[in-house]
Amino acid sequence: MTRQEIPVGVRLRPGPARPRASWHLRANAIVVGWLGLTLATALAGDALPAPRWLLVHVFLLGAVSTAILIWSEHFAVALLRARAPARHGSLARLALLNAATAAILYGVAAGPWQPAVAGAAVVVAVVLWHAYVLVTLLRRALPGRFGHVIGWYVSAAVALAAGGALGGLLAAQPGGGVTHERLQAAHAEANVLGWVGLTVLGTLFTLWPTVLRTRMPDGTRRASRIGLWLAAPGLAAAVGALAAGWRWAAAAGLVLYAAGALTALAPLVPAVRARRPHTGAAWTLGAGVVWFEVALAANLVVVATRPAGQVAAALEPLLPLVLAGFVAQVLLGSLLHLLPAVLGGGPVRFKENAALLERGWKARLAALNLGVPLLALPVPEPLRLLGWTLVLAAVAAFVLLAVLALVRSRTGADADGTRAGRASAWPAVAGVAAGCLLTAGAVVVSMTGTGGPPVTVTATGARTVEVTLSGMKVRPAVIEAPAGTVLTLRVTNADAQRHDLRLATGERTPLLGAGERATLTLAPLAAPVDGWCTVAGHRAAGMTMRIVPSDARSEARSEARSDVQADARSDAGAATGHGGHATAGGLDLAAPMSPGWSPYDAALDPAPGGTEHAVEIRVDDTVVWEVAPGVRQRVWTFDGTVPGPVLRGKVGDVFTVTFVNGGTTGHGIDFHAGANAPDGVMRTIEPGERLTYRFRAGFAGAWLYHCSTMPMSQHIANGMFGAVIIDPPGLPTVDREYLLVQSELHLGEPGGDAQVAKIREGRPDGWMFNGTAAGYDHAPLTARAGERVRIWVVAAGPSSGTALHVVGAPFDTVYKEGAYQVRTDDPGGAQVLDLAPAQGGFAELVFPEPGTYPVVDHTMRHAEAGAHGLFRVGAR
Amino acid sequence: MTWWAVVRFLHVLAAALWVGGQLTVSLVVLPLARRQLDDRLRAQMLTAVGRRFGVITAAVFLPVQLATGVAIALHKGVTWDSLAEPGYGRILAAKLLLFCAVMVAAALHGWASGAGRRALARALAISSLIGSIGVILLATALPVT
Repeated sequence: MTRQEIPVGVRLRPGPARPRASWHLRANAIVVGWLGLTLATALAGDALPAPRWLLVHVFLLGAVSTAILIWSEHFAVALLRARAPARHGSLARLALLNAATAAILYGVAAGPWQPAVAGAAVVVAVVLWHAYVLVTLLRRALPGRFGHVIGWYVSAAVALAAGGALGGLLAAQPGGGVTHERLQAAHAEANVLGWVGLTVLGTLFTLWPTVLRTRMPDGTRRASRIGLWLAAPGLAAAVGALAAGWRWAAAAGLVLYAAGALTALAPLVPAVRARRPHTGAAWTLGAGVVWFEVALAANLVVVATRPAGQVAAALEPLLPLVLAGFVAQVLLGSLLHLLPAVLGGGPVRFKENAALLERGWKARLAALNLGVPLLALPVPEPLRLLGWTLVLAAVAAFVLLAVLALVRSRTGADADGTRAGRASAWPAVAGVAAGCLLTAGAVVVSMTGTGGPPVTVTATGARTVEVTLSGMKVRPAVIEAPAGTVLTLRVTNADAQRHDLRLATGERTPLLGAGERATLTLAPLAAPVDGWCTVAGHRAAGMTMRIVPSDARSEARSEARSDVQADARSDAGAATGHGGHATAGGLDLAAPMSPGWSPYDAALDPAPGGTEHAVEIRVDDTVVWEVAPGVRQRVWTFDGTVPGPVLRGKVGDVFTVTFVNGGTTGHGIDFHAGANAPDGVMRTIEPGERLTYRFRAGFAGAWLYHCSTMPMSQHIANGMFGAVIIDPPGLPTVDREYLLVQSELHLGEPGGDAQVAKIREGRPDGWMFNGTAAGYDHAPLTARAGERVRIWVVAAGPSSGTALHVVGAPFDTVYKEGAYQVRTDDPGGAQVLDLAPAQGGFAELVFPEPGTYPVVDHTMRHAEAGAHGLFRVGAR
Repeated sequence: MTWWAVVRFLHVLAAALWVGGQLTVSLVVLPLARRQLDDRLRAQMLTAVGRRFGVITAAVFLPVQLATGVAIALHKGVTWDSLAEPGYGRILAAKLLLFCAVMVAAALHGWASGAGRRALARALAISSLIGSIGVILLATALPVT
């Protein structure tokens, strides 16, 4: 020790047991406990909800924040030679911080968001209180050489107040999308560079020379003042600019911060020159500082090269570097140095404890610093695993040694420091272990077999489902498939913020950025499977889905199973039952269409010339079709579309249809426009067979054709219908002609029991124009003001008709089932073209002025459940 | 309120007394005795406490617990076969096994303290305490039927 003694060192020299020592001991036990939890979190990995978020926050908010709260106050008292602030105040802050941390961890990872936001508010209040206490200490203290350090601690506390408030906002999930990403970047920078970074920089002025056992270099105070004046405003600018989305202001702020940090670190270099680091504490601390500088540089590059909305995603790979390389090492290094002093117990015990804690420090240091780059760099999976093993083993070794030291000092205190006291701990440990083992064994026995015998299912088919993640929802929220189906989920993140999808059976996508896709292939479906987004808070916000085997009959065998189904239904309702005007039980009509979707072209071409028409129609019953926004399911089709191809001609034309069954089960076809004995042409043919269906269109009208195989309700409901348009003689040409075929939407696997029940009972999930509910809301039909528009309509049912109406434009011509009901020159008009199931006709209208005109089935519950589209009418 | 409620009450009360008694001895009596009594007095006192607790266990706790437990099981229609079934039966079976293990540990504890093997006695006492807390855990895990 030199003349210029450093108070921290003095206070921490081992000496007779002091009352302070015990409260620090207990407080540090909390830190060690959080470190243990961090390890457990890392090991538990995917078994936890929101594993990444939990790991970061158990460590930073739990272990690191508690440590900072304890030590920055302790250092402030020691450096200022001030009287310690009231004990109960310190304990209250510590207790509040830990309670708030627990609330945040619970609220974000598992529960509703309200506890998380309340916890964030408490954290903000606690650090502001902490800052106030530090300022009061500084005001009351005599002017000294170490007052400058307090400025760093206060700035750090203010940074956490800002970062914590941002965290609370994030937990409440206000905007989502790009705003969310920007706030997240600002939150991370404020907390890591501010709360952790500024505290560490402030502490190093005194801790570093103490650890090296050298004197504090000259010029420290000046460096500290300049450094803080650069770093604090720089950080404030960076955080504000990131939140606001100003890239260059953020980069400039970070440059200022980095300059401040380097200025503050400059005096440490002569200290190293004066005395080479020789203890584990010194080397660990030094390595931590080096990683801090590396992280700062990488951070600067990320912020400067990306728009603010992408910073959070790009910072993600840096996280292990910051957490393990910088924060964990600084924490471990400090504890290595401080714990022996805190544990007390006389000089002999101090040496014993120091030796115990530093045991094998070279190997631990090497392991951790080899592991960190493996975690941060894009290396193959086995190497990453090795990195995790190295880092976790190093931390675990420390936790183990620290716990040993803590236990030793406690039992030592109990038994007046005699060895007998230490020895007496072992029966207790053995007893606890034996009791826990017995209980665990009994619990395992009691849990066996509760899930019923494991169901093994042989694969019976395969199906691909498009899954879209956006707007805090997984679409579709429920996938129904027959048991045994091998499902492939093609997951697309259609949001501006990051999401992933994880299934209860273990399959998971990586974290997907905006627009990224991933594919999950599941084992043959045996039991209901839950899925959710693991990003913190998103599951609670409703980003869940469920995959349900559809053979309801076998499930009805046990009550428990049918409960599960009821759950699935109510879950689906909860997931999609709110959010916009256009919702209908289970359908979210305002949801975006899946990427790459294009509408069925409603524009109707004029009849081709000639009186003979040859057509081939091929059944395809494995098509996956977008039946409602974001909802894709298997449909049965003529020629791959719903409705099938349109046939158009004049009265007397002859149609020769080659009908091919390219499907997986028997199908047939029935043209209402023709006159044939049903026995031959309408017979059901098996897959691979074909027949020729020749009919003469004897009458004008809009005719339905549909699959003629029983049960027809199912074949029609699943998409096997289309229109034949036979122009009445003398039909005038108009500016535009559209065809709308209206039908019911029954969600679920075609032919599944649940879907069949809905069809039989006439409980559709929605209604569709041309095969998609609300499709023309998302891709409006077009026209110009003053143009005459003819809308052909066919009601395919199977069980409900239509009352077609265009809002804002009365029909001046209506033709229904072979007869004009209103002619263009008549004084009368019509408001609705009403059609029973399988009827057809057309209506004509002239749009009076530019605007957006809804076209609806005026049976309002049909309109609100998807029989709704838009005409976008431009100026002439 | 039926007579079965009284039987259940006795079962729960006896369990509370036994586990609570162990906890009180471990958390309240032993630390104070260790701190405030000299070695000779402490040994005497602990032996006395152990003997009294053992008598209460054998004379009151075990008879009450076995009688009420068997009565409740019969009332619920538990059979030997049903103990193997997953769910209620298997949880009950695990609980009974753990209870037996706890009783064995408690008896061994009595023997070990009598034989002067203090370390072993302490380990057995603590494992018996933890095990009996496990019994309560399993009791609360029994599905309500």
